[in-house]
Formats: sequence, structure tokens, C-alpha cells
Amino acid sequence: MAKMIDGLLQGFRLHRLNRLRDQKSFLENYLPILVKAIRDREERRIKLARDRDGAALRGPALAAGVLTPALETERSTALANIEERYRWRAKALAQSKKRALSKSSEDMVVATFAVRTEQLEHQKQVDLESVGRRYAASQGDLAAAREAFRIQAEEVHAATDARLAAAKAKADKIIAAKTAAYETKTDELGRKIEKVRNLLIANKSDETNALIPEDSLLSVRNLSMRFGGLMAVDNLSFDVKKGEIFGLIGPNGAGKTTIFNCITRFYRPTSGEMLYRKNAVEVIRLNDYPVHDIIRQGIVRTFQNVELVWELTILDNLLVAAHTVYRTGFFGQLFHTPKLRREEEVMRAKAFGVLGTLGLLPYAYAIPYGLPYGILKKIELARTLMAHPKLIILDEPAAGLNDKETEELAVLIKKIRDDYHATIFLVEHDMGLVMDVCDTICAISFGKKLAIGTPAEIQSDKLVRSAYLGEES
Amino acid sequence: MTTLRLSFDRIRKQLAIIAKHPYFGFVVFGAILVVLRLLALGGIIPNSLMKSLVITMIYAIVALGFSLLLGYAGLASLGTAGFVGLGTYFIGHFSGTLGYPFLATILISLLGAIVLGAIVGFISLRIEGMYLAIITLGLSEIMREIFKSFTAFTNGVNGLGFRDFTLFELEVSEAAVDFIVIFVFILLIIGTLNIIKSPTGRALLAMKNSDSAAQSMGIGLMKYRLLAFTLATIYAVIGGLLYMMDQQFSIPTTWSLDFSLNILAAVVVGGAQSITGIILGTFTIFGLNMTVLKEIAFFREYPDATWIVSGMLIILITMFYPGGLIRLLLAIKFWLIKIWKKLKRKWSVYRYGEDD
Amino acid sequence: MIEKLLYVTLAAVGIYYLVDLAVLSRVKKRAVYRAKLLNLLMLLSVLAGFAFAIKEMTLYLFLQIVLLNIVEMCVLVLATTGIVLIFKTSVTTNFAQGTVATVGAFAAAKLIIYLTANTAMPMSTKLILALVFSAVVTFLIGLFIDTVIFRNSRYSNPVGKQMITMGIVLVLFGLMPVLFGLLPLTIEAFSYFPYEIQLPNFPYPLILPAQNLIALLITVGMLVFLFAALRFTKWGLGVRATASNETVAGMMGVNTKLITALSWGIAGAFGGVAAFLFAPVGSSVTVSFMTPVQVNAFLASILGGFSSFGGPLVGAVLINLFSSIASFLNSVWTNVIVYVLVLLLVLVKPLGLFGKKTAKKV
Repeated sequence: MAKMIDGLLQGFRLHRLNRLRDQKSFLENYLPILVKAIRDREERRIKLARDRDGAALRGPALAAGVLTPALETERSTALANIEERYRWRAKALAQSKKRALSKSSEDMVVATFAVRTEQLEHQKQVDLESVGRRYAASQGDLAAAREAFRIQAEEVHAATDARLAAAKAKADKIIAAKTAAYETKTDELGRKIEKVRNLLIANKSDETNALIPEDSLLSVRNLSMRFGGLMAVDNLSFDVKKGEIFGLIGPNGAGKTTIFNCITRFYRPTSGEMLYRKNAVEVIRLNDYPVHDIIRQGIVRTFQNVELVWELTILDNLLVAAHTVYRTGFFGQLFHTPKLRREEEVMRAKAFGVLGTLGLLPYAYAIPYGLPYGILKKIELARTLMAHPKLIILDEPAAGLNDKETEELAVLIKKIRDDYHATIFLVEHDMGLVMDVCDTICAISFGKKLAIGTPAEIQSDKLVRSAYLGEES
Repeated sequence: MTTLRLSFDRIRKQLAIIAKHPYFGFVVFGAILVVLRLLALGGIIPNSLMKSLVITMIYAIVALGFSLLLGYAGLASLGTAGFVGLGTYFIGHFSGTLGYPFLATILISLLGAIVLGAIVGFISLRIEGMYLAIITLGLSEIMREIFKSFTAFTNGVNGLGFRDFTLFELEVSEAAVDFIVIFVFILLIIGTLNIIKSPTGRALLAMKNSDSAAQSMGIGLMKYRLLAFTLATIYAVIGGLLYMMDQQFSIPTTWSLDFSLNILAAVVVGGAQSITGIILGTFTIFGLNMTVLKEIAFFREYPDATWIVSGMLIILITMFYPGGLIRLLLAIKFWLIKIWKKLKRKWSVYRYGEDD
Repeated sequence: MIEKLLYVTLAAVGIYYLVDLAVLSRVKKRAVYRAKLLNLLMLLSVLAGFAFAIKEMTLYLFLQIVLLNIVEMCVLVLATTGIVLIFKTSVTTNFAQGTVATVGAFAAAKLIIYLTANTAMPMSTKLILALVFSAVVTFLIGLFIDTVIFRNSRYSNPVGKQMITMGIVLVLFGLMPVLFGLLPLTIEAFSYFPYEIQLPNFPYPLILPAQNLIALLITVGMLVFLFAALRFTKWGLGVRATASNETVAGMMGVNTKLITALSWGIAGAFGGVAAFLFAPVGSSVTVSFMTPVQVNAFLASILGGFSSFGGPLVGAVLINLFSSIASFLNSVWTNVIVYVLVLLLVLVKPLGLFGKKTAKKV
């Protein structure tokens, strides 16, 4: 009885820990977005105020004959516009001359068009002059007018500056207040998390914890899978250590994907169990979880053939993968509450971060339809990074890629392991890639384990060589 | 002078921002409908036209729910007619025959819709694809048989009338019903828009593309299939309630396979994934019959011949534009833009000569 | 008393098989075959057992109802065959099967009217001519649908094809009043003579209308012809290859276009004959008089499972038997009982009674 209550308490604590962590990460991620929004608004306001000042001072400046920078640009734009307009007119004239030449006698045309060209030139000069006049000083007491304008301009600018400074101070204050509030909240959450964590660790039952070694993340024990008469996986056991890149190799039909499908619960194994270290205190049996709960435990997978949502943009595809991270309920989504909007902003920022890491930013708003295969594979990879992955399962990530893309992929896989502190478990045919990136390799054939060890050990293993090359041992 | 220009500029910019909001077009659409209804009140446009507009809107509500099912969740259902019919009998029986208050009827209807949707959702977990379409067709037939035979509830094959509709002890006139329909229509459009632009909408699309990929991303099939069917059923039942308020009569023969097929046709012809497309499709399939074709002598002699037009539309659109009318319109728009650019270029060459 | 006990036992055995089936079919291959054979027995025994036990239905009454319902059964079997044939070759459910058949019935009825007005043939000759005419018309419509519409469609996927058949339903619905007038027409039966069959131990003779016998003969003849063609002709081989995989069949040199076109034609003809036989029973030929047959044929197809040719036919026979028994139990709720029963059976076996499960690849 006490044990049961203990278990329940632990479960409750775990749930609470997860919620607190989610809240904390939300606050941490939302603060920069909020600050940026405030700053953007401020910038917009500054620009607007300056524009308004310029507009208010335009008349007096013209009257006083002062060429303020704004007026200067206005003038040069007007001049450039006239130049452009007359260039086109000249072209049109030349064209109509050409047309006229093909119709009537030469002398006549040449004479007419000489006159028309001259007229055009004259008109252009008139226009240019009129612009010049508009921006030149008018008659009267210029010095006094300029002085008056200077004073007026100073007044206006001073007023605006003061207003802007006040607004900036206000914005700074808001930002400071928000930051402080968020930090206190975050700190508080941090303390709570620490507390719950300590409680969890203090009460952790050694029973489940001792099931698998402290440093391994996933342990497959005596896994068997039978399809009718075919033994696809036969009594297979191996351990995946935390933070390593684990490769599974084997000839075609060796049962590699079947193992993945057992771990991600698409198949129900005939016998055997998969143990997984969910966090510092808990080891769970994956056999007990339905398919769609696997991702909540931190296990994310890709598919052999790219399975994207073809109607959505790449960005939205990544947001689909973050499905489990959203906290807003259905009614929140129905009414698009501010909470949902904030969450969407945080997710979008995160998605952009991931896209940036993988160099996919140019494709963010593209539809996956028709993109090159290498990009699609990368998008699948990007998708795995959206939901706090601990264990990333890659099913033939290099299938269909050319040599250059495969090299890039190797770098990327290592980068993901280091940046996201995730363990990576992959199946691959490309031996170059496997030997390059993997820390540990497990070789299987017809569902049976041949060898497990470092790449060098696997390369020199006799059984593996015979399975792959058909060598007699 | 300058300040005036500037403020005008600001208003224009603000308007541009508002116009970019996804709700904007639909709210304007609703406003136009309200204005039309007011014009009909004033006798400027014929009342019969307004009547057909309102009934088309009710069908569009049903089609919206169905599009969530077909266009987003990728689940084919032919049971729409039964659910809409059920809505009409709910209000006809509870508010009409028994005289319950309107809110109670709405609650009962929503509850009924949720239960029914959940049942069909559960069925959809076991049966998929065309099998599901046929099974839902069977369900709809079961419901039609019930409408025919369960006389205490539905008044059988003679049809159930519904008059003197009161809302909060106020007599509701015909015009008021039309305004209610317009209001609910726009509200549901906005609700649908919110759903499809939220994680739920994306989850439904993911499920449509690949069950296994969706599951591996944490999207539970059961939850979302149930949700999709429940939503579609709720929309259908709301459509039924409004239908009864508007037409004041419901008879089992209306709720046959033809009705479901027509809703399906509206969604497919318009474009299953776009709200504008669905409205367009419903107005093409239902509205065209009721407003334009009715005026032609041939169709007056053979009223059923209007089916030919909708049938041909469905066939041609599925043959050549599977994306629906909305895609066709987009294609035409791009085509026009292309032609415009080409003409402009030609003119420029004529006027200014080839570029240097 | 003992008789009742026997029937209840029969029902219990049926239920046992129903539960057992799901388990058995997953374990051994031989068990699957055994279960398949026992499927039919089980279903019948459940129903018959319940019907006998509840309502004191005697074997005599049961047989009599079955004999009287033979025409409906034949119509359902023919319609279902058409649907399955099209599903096999074009991977789509043909919603227009019933409507195309209705056009055939209308054409036949019009021909009879024409012949009566202009010639002095005996009724039976006119009817035979009309039957052939109905089949030919529907065959041509079927051919038209495949060659003109499906083969020209720019994008073809199963759902799109389904949608097109729905469009055809609407077009024909609109076209029929224009072509054949707004009034319902009639087709007379071949014969109204009832045979009497006296079996030992039965109090009264069983009545078998001659029309039913003729319908049965026509149906069996057509089915034998079809199955022989499927089994022994090049076309049949082509159909089976196309059903397995159209693209591969096409690459192997099978003329899939011809095969599907012919299948559509033959399916149409089956529908035409079905409508012709159904017209005397359904009292008059109207635009939607085949709709209930259409719905039942769909249900029969999924009850039997689309994966085999024979399954849906058994499904059609079963549905007819269900409704015979249900109509005896309660004449108002007959259809509801049948639909609910089919629904439950399909929920137990989602791919139909004879369906085969294909493994999903991830």
C-alpha cells in the first residue's frame, strides 16, 4: 500500500516537474520575443515622429530657403524623376522616328524629328529649372527667415526628442519591469523545480533504476518479432549509451527497421522488452506506452521514405512536430486566445532557430512539394529537434543522398548530438557514414546479433565480414 | 494641409493592416449579406432571392464542417444528411412539439451531436477509406429509416412542421431568423479559420498525409478522428437547427443520399481546403440552381434537370481541376497577370524600342 | 420445446464462432480457411436461431419467404457483381451503378411501349428484346464512362474517380426526366404463374412464382458466364492482373485500357439486367427506384470484403436473407435491423468476412 502511494506521489511529482519545466522554458523563450516586440514598436514610433516633424517643417524650410536633408533628398528625387521621364520620352521619340522613316521620305522625317528633339530638350530644361526654383530661396529677408526657421526647427526637434526620450524611458521601464518579473518568476520556478527534483531523487526507487546501467539510455532485452513463420528479430539485446551515436547495420531484410518499429511501438514485439531511462530518476518500459506517447518520453524518429505534410510550409511542418509541446487546449485554439498566440510565437522562434542550425532558413515559407530530396531529408531531421528530443532515431538518413550531401549529413549529425545533447540511434547502409560518425555499432543479420563494438572492432570482425562479403571463415 | 495628408496616410496604412487580417474578408462578406437582407426588407431586391441565399448559407455551414472532415482529416463520410436531419428533428421535437426553451434544445442538440460524432469517430478507428464512406452511408440510411418510422419523434413520412418560434419569450420573425443565420454563418467561418490555423488544424492535416508519421509526432489518432467527426457532426446539427428555423418543415425524403452527395459536391467543386472555396462551391451547387437556372424556361419545365449542371460541374472539375473552383480562379488570376505583363512588354517594345 | 432448445443451441454455436473468428484467423492458416467455411453457417444459424426461437418461425415459413424474395436476391447479386468488377479494375466504388441501371430499365420500358404500339409480337418476345436492349444500353453507358470520362481525366486517383461517379449520378438524375418523360413507367413480369412444391412433412405446398425461377436462371447463367470468363479467358486473366496492380499489368503487356473499358461495360450490363428484373417487383420504374438496391449492394460488398470476387456475392445473399428474416420479425424496422447487423459484423471484421489483411509498412 505504502509502495503504491509512493509510486503515485512520484508520478505526480514527475508530472509537476514536467509542467514546471515547460513553464520555465516558455518564460525564458518568450522574454526575448516580448522585448523585441517592444523595441520594434518604439522604433516604429521614432520613425513616425521624425516623419511628422519633417512634414511640419517642410513648409517653413521652403519659405526660408533652407535645404534640410529631407528637402535635399526630395529635390534630388524630383530631378532624377525628370531625367528618367525624359530619357523614356527620348527613347519613344527615337522609336517613332524609326517607324516614320520606314514610311515616308527621309529628309522630311529628319527635319521634323530634329525639331521635336529640340522641343523635348527645351521642355526638359524648363522642368528642371522649375524644380530648381521650387527649392531655391524666395525673395525677402532671407537671413531673418533662416534664423526664424532655425529657432522653429530647434523647438520642434527638441519637443520631439523630449517626447521620444520619455517614450523610450517608458519602454525601458516596461522592459525592465517585464524582465524583472519574468526573472523572478523564472527563479521561483527554478527553485520549485529544484525542490521537486530533489524530492524525486530522494524518493527514487532503486528497483526500477537498477534495471539498466546508470550510463545507458535505452536497453533492448531479448527482443523477438515474428511475422507468421518469419523470425524478423530473434532474441536480440543491446544497450545504447547516453550521448553516443549508435549505429545499427545489417544486410537488406536483416530486421533493422523492424527493431525501430518495435521501439517506437508501431509493432508489438512477440517477446522481449525495451527499457528506457526517461530521466535521472525514472526508467520506463516502452512496451507499456502507445505509439503517440513515445514522443512525450523524448524519443523522436524519422522515416525511411520522407513523410512530410505536403500542404503545409516547412515552418508549419516543424510546428506540427512541436505538437506535444503546446499547452493550449482545444477551446483556446478555437478562440485563438493570447496564450496560444504567445505560444505560437515562441514555437516559431524555436523553429527558426532549428532551421538556422540546419541551414534551411531560405526554405522556411516554401511548400515541400518539389524540393530536392536532400532538403526533404534535412527537414525530417529538423522536425525531430522540435520536441525536446533525448533519443533521435534515424531510419536510413543517407538513403538517396549523393556523396557531398552525405558528408554534410555526417557533420550535421555530430552537431545535433553536441548542440541538443541528444543520443542518436541510426540505421544506415552507407558504411562510410556509419564508420565515420558512430561511436558504437551493432551488426545484425537475419534478426540475430553478429557483433557489437567500436567501428574498428566491427570492421575486423569475422562474422560481420562473412555476412557482408560472403567470405568463408 | 500637410498634417491632414499625413493623417489620411496613417488611416490608409491602418486600413491596410486591418485588411490583411484573415477575418477581414469574411466580416465584410457578412456585412454585405446583412445589407442585402436589409435591402430585401425594404423591397429593393426580391425576397425569393434572399430566401435562396439564406438556405445556401445553411448548406455552406454544413459544408464547412464536412470540409474539416474531408479536406483536413482526410476522412470520407456520406452520413451528412442524417446528421442535418437529426438537427431539424431535435429543434422540431423539443422546441416545437414539447415546447422546451430554446437554450435547452441547443444543449440537447450539441450533446446529441457530440455523442453521435464520437460513435462515428470510434467506427472510423476500425474502418478506413471507402469502407468508412459506405458505412457512414449505412448509418445515414439507418437514421432516415428512424426518421420515417419513429413517428412520436419525427411525425414520420408526413414531415414535421415548426411554427411560432420563440427565443427568450420573443416571437422571432422570418427576417430575424435570416439575421441569426448570417450571424452564425460568419461566426462559424471564423471558428473554422481559427481551428485550421491552429495546432489542431495542422495535426488533422498531418493525420491525412500519413497516419504513422502523425502518431510518431504525438498526434493520437483516436483523439483527432473523434474530434474531426464531432466537429463535423456539430456543424451539421447546427445546420439542421437553422434549416428548421428557416424552412419550418422537415421531411425524411430530404435527408437522403442526394443531400450528402450534394454537400460533398459543394466541397469538392469549391476546393476542400479553402473556406472561400467552400463558400464558392456551395453557392455554385445550390445557389446557382435556386437563383439563375430557375429563370430559364427549359429548367422550369424539367426542374430536376438542374442536376445536370451540378453533375457536369463536378465531373469537369474533378477531371481537370482537382483543387476545385478556387484553384481554377487562382489559375485564371495568374493567367490574366501573365497576359497583362506580356501586353505591357509588347506595348513598351512598340513605344520605346527594344531594351539596350 | 425440444425444437426451441435446438435453435437456441444453434444460436449459441453461432455466437461462439463469431467470437472465435477474430482469434482464430490470426493464428494458423488452416484455421483461417476453416473459419471462412464456417462463416456462412455461423451467420445463418445465429439469425435463424434467433428468429425461430423468438417468433416461432417455422422452417416452412422461412423457406417460403426465401423463395418469394429470390428476385430481390438476384437483383442484389447482379448489382454487387458490377460494383466489385469495377472496384477490381478501377479501384473505385461506383456510385453510378444503380443510376446507370435505371437508365437501362427506362430504355427497356420505352422499347416495350414502342413495340406494343407498332408491332404485334407476343409479350415474351418483347420482354426478351427489352432485356437485351437494357443490357446493351447500360453496356454502352459503362463503356462511355470509362473511355470518355476516366481516360481523359487529367488527374486520376480513387477519390477523384469516386467523385466523378457521383457527378454521373447527378447528370443522369437530371437527364432521365428529359429523355424519358416525367411519368413512371412499368415493365411487366415474364410470367405470373406460381409453381407449387409439396415437400414431405410440410402442411402446405411451397409457392415459387415462375418469374422468380426465370430471374434465378438468368442470374445464375450470367454469373457462370462471368466466372468462366474470369477463369478461362484472356480477358479474365487481364482483369485479375489489373486488379492486382494496374501499372505492372500494363508494363507486362496487358491492355489495361481495354480491360477496364470492358469491365465497365459488363458491370453496366449486369446493372441493366438487375434493373430490368427489379422493375416488376418495385412496381414502377422511377428515377430513384434502384437507390435502395445500390445502398444494399455497397453494404454487401463491404460485408463480403472487396478483396475477393466471391465474397461480395455471399454478402449479397446474406443481406437478402437477413432482410427476409428481419421482415418476419418486424416489418417496420426491417432495414434498420439489417443495417445495424451489417454494421456490427463489419466492426468485428473491418475488411469484410472474406477480406485479407495486408501488412502496413512504416
